[in-house]
Amino acid sequence: MTQQQLNRRNFLNSLGITVGAAAATSVPAIAPAVAQVARSPKGNIPSTPLKFGHMTFLTGPAAVLGDPSLKGHILAAEEINAQGGILGKRKIETITADENAGTDANVKELRRMKLSEKIDMFTGVISSGNTPALGPVAEELGLLTIFVDGCTDFLWDKAVPNPKFTFRITNIQSADGVTCAVAAAQTWPTAKKIAHIHPDYSYGRNAFDHFMIAYKKMVPGAEVVSEGWPKLGTTDFTAHITKTISSNPDLIMSSVWGGDYVALYKQALRYGMFNNAKFASTIAFGVAPHAIGKDHPEGVIAGVHSNYYFTFPPGNRWPANKTFVEKYFKRWIEYPNFQSDGAYHTLHMYRTAVEKANGLVGGWPDEEAIISQLEGMYFETAAGYLYIRPDNHQGYKDAVTGFSKNVAEYPFQILDPGRMITIPIRNITAPPNWPKPGTSHNDPTSTYNWIKETWPQEVA
Amino acid sequence: MSLAVAKKGAITSIGPSAWRPAVVAIAILLVLAALPSLVDPYQTVLLTYGLIMAIAALGFNLLLGYTGLLSFGHSAYFGAGAYTVAFIVRDLGAQSMELCIVGGLLGALLISALFGFVCVRHTRIFFGILTLALSQVLWSLAFKFFWVTGGTDGIRVASAKLTLLGGFVNFAGPGSFQRFVFAYYYYVLGLFALATVIMWVIVHSPFGKALQAIRDNETRASFVGISVRRYRWIAFVISGAFTGLAGVLWVPLNGLTTPDILYWPFSGEIVFMTVLGGFRTFTGPIVGAVMFNYLKTYAVASTEYWQLLLGVVLVVLVLALPSGIVGTAARLAARFTRGTS
Repeated sequence: MTQQQLNRRNFLNSLGITVGAAAATSVPAIAPAVAQVARSPKGNIPSTPLKFGHMTFLTGPAAVLGDPSLKGHILAAEEINAQGGILGKRKIETITADENAGTDANVKELRRMKLSEKIDMFTGVISSGNTPALGPVAEELGLLTIFVDGCTDFLWDKAVPNPKFTFRITNIQSADGVTCAVAAAQTWPTAKKIAHIHPDYSYGRNAFDHFMIAYKKMVPGAEVVSEGWPKLGTTDFTAHITKTISSNPDLIMSSVWGGDYVALYKQALRYGMFNNAKFASTIAFGVAPHAIGKDHPEGVIAGVHSNYYFTFPPGNRWPANKTFVEKYFKRWIEYPNFQSDGAYHTLHMYRTAVEKANGLVGGWPDEEAIISQLEGMYFETAAGYLYIRPDNHQGYKDAVTGFSKNVAEYPFQILDPGRMITIPIRNITAPPNWPKPGTSHNDPTSTYNWIKETWPQEVA
Repeated sequence: MSLAVAKKGAITSIGPSAWRPAVVAIAILLVLAALPSLVDPYQTVLLTYGLIMAIAALGFNLLLGYTGLLSFGHSAYFGAGAYTVAFIVRDLGAQSMELCIVGGLLGALLISALFGFVCVRHTRIFFGILTLALSQVLWSLAFKFFWVTGGTDGIRVASAKLTLLGGFVNFAGPGSFQRFVFAYYYYVLGLFALATVIMWVIVHSPFGKALQAIRDNETRASFVGISVRRYRWIAFVISGAFTGLAGVLWVPLNGLTTPDILYWPFSGEIVFMTVLGGFRTFTGPIVGAVMFNYLKTYAVASTEYWQLLLGVVLVVLVLALPSGIVGTAARLAARFTRGTS
């Protein structure tokens, strides 16, 4: 591949990054998907309830990130049931499972849900340690599944390379590290000494890899001066904080999430970790928004897993967001996070697919028909347009991140709506059919290889 | 069933007094063999998990119940078996389950011989702490060597690719998982029956009696001429091999292996199962393992406070039923027969 040499500003421009509240005006004017399907169902629809399984973190430090997923799911189920159910007949019943039971127990539980409880569909799952275990099981059971998160590239690159029954709605994980790198390179282009603190499992490794490959392309001479790999679910970060500070970095990059992150930032404040270095996180504000106190440092890159933050798009510029946040707040007296958005729209997307399939085949459509409608679907969500790529069943939407800020309207810290960064997803993720790891290369992911091969190298 | 016959033969050869347990064992085996056609596939899966853990608990109880050593590190041998199988399947591309069993058993034997050599030099709390510490070493290796073991993501072992009985039974094609569950249940049941018979023979052999002598009085046992340390070491290795076999069988059923099975709470679960069933009896660990498996699965499914529920069960168990389910049942049965005769 030819490596053009190019300065950072031109390259960042070529990525189509938008900063600020103006971003949402650039979306195309397409009628909302939900409004297109208000027709009466064809054929005979059984009135038996539809059984859903929803698995998420209900206990443990990850619950501040996972519990909103169930809340989003329940909100959507209640809305659909209030209208008589899917196709006006089939009401949604949900059984839940605690993802905190561990990967092995989760595999067992998924089998129980399908074989014993006879669920029609499975949703949820937060951790990237779990989707690669559960995806093959769902395929094995022939169980229609839309994962809300657990968005590791590994799921489609390796664990389930040709999915039939499994889908995933949140952005692919490599986009998270790359988005963070682009935001950091744009904001602090002189930061060369990078210290890392990541949870020691696939997500942390993925964030580290993709941040570094993208950041080094844009900031020549960038180097890793410290690495900390705390165990997922740890709440004592003292050793990692002191190690990070002693390496005297320009920029600290982290993908610690959920309750772990809340513990990390509170302990880091005591040690003054945010005073002498810039800070960029992929997923700091991924938790339920009220979990972040006003004591959180302002002006840091506080990512939302490159998916969604409830204040953006702001005002009434994207009505789907305004109404979603209002409905969610009315039901739960709190604000949604990106999991709420994912779980809520998972159900609505499923309903839309069933309605479309019903229009084509009549009666209650079988799984093949529903899958055919989910593949390639273009769907309106609170976060913007979501596209389900047919080849890997992965949901793609434009990536988003931002800067932390205290404002008077909210009792917690939020992402500054005036400084949001959005990046068109096609510019930071490998295109369909890019070689998968283990074929013509052995890089961690397709996207990693794609960045390595095609992104221009900025010269000093 | 040919296995049931083989089992009867093995037991009757021990002595005429063994005929009653043998009849009961065969009856239970026949019920177990008939179950998959009566219950739904999920129950078959659960029972398979239960039988596998029963093999692990049987092995564990050779140390606790018969030798008087409380190991808090049996996750290490279970994990050694499981990870060896995962490596064999992933790196060597092997598909034969029998090959996996041989490899996995060798792995577990190696680790338990090594760890046992160190641990049997001490007893009581020192023994417990040593087993715990050594198992944690294996756990941290599996956890930290991300590029070899997959870290917490673990290694996947797809059941569809495996073959049983030297390639005679395979699971390619549609309905793979359902066929696998059905066939694998009988496979595990056969090995479980075999393992139970072998363990029965071991604990009723002179070697087993020597272990019990060591348990009851170490000083007297050595006066009789028993080489205490060597006997303990052999018991340790046998115990590790049984638990390793359980790990081997567990991997294809579970579909993947993660460092969770090397972590100390998993050792605690093996202890829990054995205490639940009763470690003073031969069948206690079997009943305890099957029961615990149901208990945990349904606790996780029914409440988010499942850890609390399990904790309460353990506390009640230790306070109210120190002899476990089987021990208590035996006591009640004895009282009942005394009352009627």
